[in-house]
Amino acid sequence: MTDAVLRTDGLTKRFGELTAVDSVSLTVEEGEFRSVIGPNGAGKTTTFNLITGALTPSDGIVQFKGQDITTLPPHERVARGLGRSFQITNVFSGLTVRENVRVAAQSVNRDDINTWTALFQDKDDFESINAQTDEILEQIGLAARADEPAETLAYGDQRRLEIGLVLATDPDLVMLDEPTAGMSSEETQATMDLISDVLADQSLMLIEHDIDLVMRVSDEITVLTRGQELASGTPEEIANSEDVRDAYLGGARK
Amino acid sequence: MVLADFVEQLLNGLTVGMVYVLLAAGLSVIFGVMNVINFSHGELFALGAYFALSITNPLGAETGFWVALVAAPLIVGVIGVGIERLTIRPLYGRNPLYHILLTFGLVLVINDLVRLVWGTEQQQLVVPNFLTQPVAVFGIQLSLYNYFMIGFAAILAAGTWVLLNKTKYGMIIRAGSQDREMVRNVGIDIDRYYTLVFGVGAALAAVAGIVLGGYQNVNTTMGNSVIIPAFVVVVLGGLGSFRGAVFGGLLVGVVQTLMRAYNGTVLADLGEFTLTVPNMEGLTVFLLMIGVLLVKPQGLFGTRGEESEGGEGEILVGGDGGLLNESTKFKLGVVAVALLAIAPFALLVTGQRYYVTVLNEILIWAIFALSLDIVMGYTGLVPLGHTMFYGVGAYAAALVMLHYTSSVFLVLGAAILICAALAWIVGALSIRVSGVYFAMITLAFAELLYSAVFKFEFTGGSDGLLGFEAMMGIAGIGVPLSDIELLVLGYEIEQRIVFYYFALLLGVLSFLVARRIMNAPFGSVLQSIRESQERAKFIGYDVTKYKRRAFVLSGGVAGLSGGLLAVSPTTFIISPDQTLYWIHSGEVIVLTLLGGMGTLYGPMLGAGAFLGLEEVLSGYTDQWRMVIGSIFILFVLFVPRGLVSVPSLVAERVDRVQNEGDPPVNIDDPEVNPDD
Repeated sequence: MTDAVLRTDGLTKRFGELTAVDSVSLTVEEGEFRSVIGPNGAGKTTTFNLITGALTPSDGIVQFKGQDITTLPPHERVARGLGRSFQITNVFSGLTVRENVRVAAQSVNRDDINTWTALFQDKDDFESINAQTDEILEQIGLAARADEPAETLAYGDQRRLEIGLVLATDPDLVMLDEPTAGMSSEETQATMDLISDVLADQSLMLIEHDIDLVMRVSDEITVLTRGQELASGTPEEIANSEDVRDAYLGGARK
Repeated sequence: MVLADFVEQLLNGLTVGMVYVLLAAGLSVIFGVMNVINFSHGELFALGAYFALSITNPLGAETGFWVALVAAPLIVGVIGVGIERLTIRPLYGRNPLYHILLTFGLVLVINDLVRLVWGTEQQQLVVPNFLTQPVAVFGIQLSLYNYFMIGFAAILAAGTWVLLNKTKYGMIIRAGSQDREMVRNVGIDIDRYYTLVFGVGAALAAVAGIVLGGYQNVNTTMGNSVIIPAFVVVVLGGLGSFRGAVFGGLLVGVVQTLMRAYNGTVLADLGEFTLTVPNMEGLTVFLLMIGVLLVKPQGLFGTRGEESEGGEGEILVGGDGGLLNESTKFKLGVVAVALLAIAPFALLVTGQRYYVTVLNEILIWAIFALSLDIVMGYTGLVPLGHTMFYGVGAYAAALVMLHYTSSVFLVLGAAILICAALAWIVGALSIRVSGVYFAMITLAFAELLYSAVFKFEFTGGSDGLLGFEAMMGIAGIGVPLSDIELLVLGYEIEQRIVFYYFALLLGVLSFLVARRIMNAPFGSVLQSIRESQERAKFIGYDVTKYKRRAFVLSGGVAGLSGGLLAVSPTTFIISPDQTLYWIHSGEVIVLTLLGGMGTLYGPMLGAGAFLGLEEVLSGYTDQWRMVIGSIFILFVLFVPRGLVSVPSLVAERVDRVQNEGDPPVNIDDPEVNPDD
């Protein structure tokens, strides 16, 4: 067995009569850039939510770094190194850029904080957290704007901050939910550059419906239709697969 | 005979229940469609009854009643339309919190207008003679008016249902309650329908007021006494659900009436044991509501799931007001404390001793408001029942003084611990529901405690507790407050002045400790939760746990304020109305917002401004509530970030005047509604 970061086995989610995700088994190796694609309603976002813990599966298991995390709440998954970004930018808009990153860094540096300091020590007095915050602000290129409220940032910079928040939690695997939704092709390119730049050391799992994008950046692609895994393989294999062409590239392509 | 009695009570329950149905239908649809928690609904209900009085009196009962039944609701409906247009409309997209403040202001204004126009005497709304005749159906004697109430309300409820379900208007309104944005996106101006909904809701409330006015009587507190049960009905049935309003209304009416009628009745006599109906009138509906919300958070017929966070509208915190930097604020704080420290002497010298009592009250409420700011301004939770901690703190302190010790330190310590424990329990049960549901479930807990203190011997029932006294000291070493008499420079330092300095010390300490905690890692997590709960969860925080801890902290501080109330030498009685009445939960929210939440000092300032203003105004006019209510309304509309934001608002205005001719720089203006 190689070092799988993430493994799902028979992952299933039923909403009443509807089976949104039907027995999906996939494995993401360490360092891999995995994309999950599929037409609307294929179960991409539900799969995403099952892995991050926003939803609990009806059946099947989720393993992360060899441990069963199927029933863990989201925050414990984050603590184990499973990060996620949001499709709609979701940052702490009323807080400063620095505080956004700092509070995320604080979450994974809890060993440096005891009950007393958690309540009575100034939040900016923790060296390790400050160091990590500064490093990430540099990486996402927002160090110069660190003291501005996040809500005053332009959209592109908010996306950078969003990625910065994920990065600050020191993840081994980052789940990205359509990070370029609603973006122009230039913005899309900038965002993908940012991802490959700052998230180079992480395993990535991208949920996306933009097939061209996926073909360019992925190591491995999983195609879902109607909640089931249709095919998995390298971009070439997917591009050459009859099944995929029939079900997705040809017919249902938006 | 027993059965006939039961059926009679059942019918009485249905009669009252129908009134709740009419009230709840409006409230529920207004909430479902507009996301507005309308506290003024009870006053619109009362207005209906009063207008009916004015119509019936000159025309006589026989025709006047029928005219009133049509005309008064129309008048109130038009008033509702006016209210919606002028005050509620500018607030769409804001957090429901602001509607609470706004409609709370409306309650004060309308209630005072009613007192001004119709007087405070209880009045009788006469109904046509034939309606008062008793009718016997299957041997059950009830006046025809009961049947009339049930029938008339049923017809109106059915009419509303048809309006909602069978017409184009209704379809749009229902679609709006599912997804407002979507309705806007298909090109329908949903705002116009809001006015209609609010107007119809107001008219239905007015009908309910007339119908109940004819059954019981018309008085100035009638609105106040129905609004909380009406909210229970709405929440129980499911916010926004018409079916829920009907079912919940009848259920609450029947349960209330039966519990009252059969209070203490022996159900079964089993020799050794007797099974009696517990003395639970008042408690039952709140227990019912808490139970339902715990099992089914969206209510019995509610379909709405968790509210999406985007739709909630953000909470506008006081902010730092770029104008004043840290050192200026620090200096201002020192000056404020120094002024407070010499204030009693100034009052002694000028012979205005009485105002020391007012200052004491302000200090107590400043700590209470501070406690609310921890959960509301820093964590983004809006509890509608915060007075439960103030009240329980006061009761706990009084009971400890009566039964155990009079040492202020132990008394206050006990009040803090008991309230923190209560907050832990209430928090554990209520924090899993969010938004409006959290607000409502805390309200239910507060009302439960309010009803409970009436019932128990050890809490002194409606009289409350008296005969306690605090001692400045611990372990038997110390002085009872009443024995403290000092002479400084020829002025007598009486006990309330001693208490004043004690409260001032505790107030400053609470503020400093709270500020420390909010600037520490724990506080920073709370603020991230306020900004985005989802995000906080996915950077690795156990949001529920943090919220619960914040609630416990807040409960403890509120317990301190309640304890101080009991310890104060000018407090002789701790009564339910003084401490646990729901109005106080509203008041503390109001003064927190008034001051500027999320700043800690803002709410304390708000307490001073609110109580000071109340004191001054009540000296000049009997209509001070109206003035205060209008000030709330103006504040919500124009200064939503509270008093502490005034310097930056003024600076902005000055800027704008100086840059006359430049295009307005409104784009990044934080005061602009973000959802517009």
